[in-house]
Amino acid sequence: MTSTHTLEVRGLQVRVNDGGKSLPLLKAIDLTIEKGQVLGLVGESGSGKSITCSAILQLLNRRGLEVEGSVRLNGRQLTKLPNREIRMIRGREIGTIMQNPMNAFTPVYTVGSQFVETLRTHSKLSKMQARAQAAASLAEVGLSEPARVMKSYPHQLSGGMLQRVMIAISMCLQPALVIADEPTTALDSVNQLQVLRQLDKLRTEYGTSILLVSHDLGVIARMADTVAVMKAGEIVEHADVHDLFDRPQHDYTRMLLQARLRGRKDA
Amino acid sequence: MLQVHQVSHSYGGSGWRKSKAAAGKVLDNVSFDLEPGCCLGLLGTSGAGKSTLGKIVLGLQKPASGQVTFEGFELYTKGRQGIRKVRRDLQAVFQDCYSAVNPLMTADHIIGEPLRNYERLSPAELKRRTGELLEQVGLAAEDGSKRPSQFSGGQLQRVNIARAIALKPKLIVLDEPISSLDMVHQTLILDLLSELKDSIGLSYLFITHDIQAVMTICDRVAVMDKGQIVYHTDSPSSLPSAEHEAVQRLVSAVLPQHPSLRTSWV
Repeated sequence: MTSTHTLEVRGLQVRVNDGGKSLPLLKAIDLTIEKGQVLGLVGESGSGKSITCSAILQLLNRRGLEVEGSVRLNGRQLTKLPNREIRMIRGREIGTIMQNPMNAFTPVYTVGSQFVETLRTHSKLSKMQARAQAAASLAEVGLSEPARVMKSYPHQLSGGMLQRVMIAISMCLQPALVIADEPTTALDSVNQLQVLRQLDKLRTEYGTSILLVSHDLGVIARMADTVAVMKAGEIVEHADVHDLFDRPQHDYTRMLLQARLRGRKDA
Repeated sequence: MLQVHQVSHSYGGSGWRKSKAAAGKVLDNVSFDLEPGCCLGLLGTSGAGKSTLGKIVLGLQKPASGQVTFEGFELYTKGRQGIRKVRRDLQAVFQDCYSAVNPLMTADHIIGEPLRNYERLSPAELKRRTGELLEQVGLAAEDGSKRPSQFSGGQLQRVNIARAIALKPKLIVLDEPISSLDMVHQTLILDLLSELKDSIGLSYLFITHDIQAVMTICDRVAVMDKGQIVYHTDSPSSLPSAEHEAVQRLVSAVLPQHPSLRTSWV
């Protein structure tokens, strides 16, 4: 089957075996993202947003969990691929930006060496070339002193800077899809805006599709083209972002929207 | 009630990092007052010195210079006599609710700790008080036997608030109390905080970068930038029209309420 979707998830189910009983974590999820589109994934904690991300990346432990369904990236089925090939897809074709940037880097190596290592794992660049490319893309995400950032250890940079380094890596490798799991939750509002601006640049200039997980409807309103609302392992609403804000169909979506409006009214 | 007078502080390097101590001043001549029953918002980006100021107010961090006076007692005197007198009237709630509690203790134990330290209660009386406190913050008395890992973030933040109000303090320093919670719980915790403020007569020092939360709950706002209070107002709702550059930076970072309000990236 050929498909034009960048990401196509069909009937993705995850169940966990708990002493003979089989508990569902995800109940047959369908998602599609087109090229250069941003899909916002919202839902309360425990609703299965992060499990969905891990399942797309094929990172779930197959021993304890039963995973069914299909995940296609540009038409290529990811679910049955051997580990060796999946490892080449992670990073190269699916980039990730996680909530806590401090955990995404090894504290004992400089940011530059980790950047260069990632680039060279996925390309045939020489060290010099990789370093030059890394510095160029750090400048592109608005980090003013790329040379200093390259020499820094993760703890010497702020959360917002590290998050932008993650985006810079994605800019170099130009993956088809970036999974951003709560990318700005740990940041203050000024840094949040800068990170979102760079994510948007990634989408407009490189045509990267983005799966954006967030509980902040402000982030969704700013970034997303379509939105999927999750509750208890199911997608309860999947709509265009304007439709979702104007005509929320599901009770949970309404509750989310009201939580925001109440804050505004009191102000 | 609380007077902060010309407080300055810097985190100098010590030991092998001394040569790298270029960080400079974190707080530069900060002064403000806080009267009873008031909620003062301390607004600023990360690195502005908000949390350092919070620690200094709590008596946890001796400032390099300046005085902090709470209820007439100076906090940083020789022998720390002042802080002992007011310790129980100063409480705190922090951003990371999980690291603010001992993961091995039950909620009853966590909330009962200040009571055990300051009040001589019988075990039955203690149990009754912690149950009451849990109900006051919107949890059930039976939740007292649960451990932190069995609570969600929003619930555990309620436990932290229950601990903070256990001794009926006069001032609570709230250091980003809602930043790690999801939207729905942010609103619920803000509601709980304003309700408690009115029913117990608390004062808050509300530290945050979230301009919308400040406009919702605070009576007065001080905006911090690079270690100084650069803007001060008695009507938080007027913040969006303030002309100061640091305030405008925060105002312009507010995300749109609706996708149709998107602006182009500056």
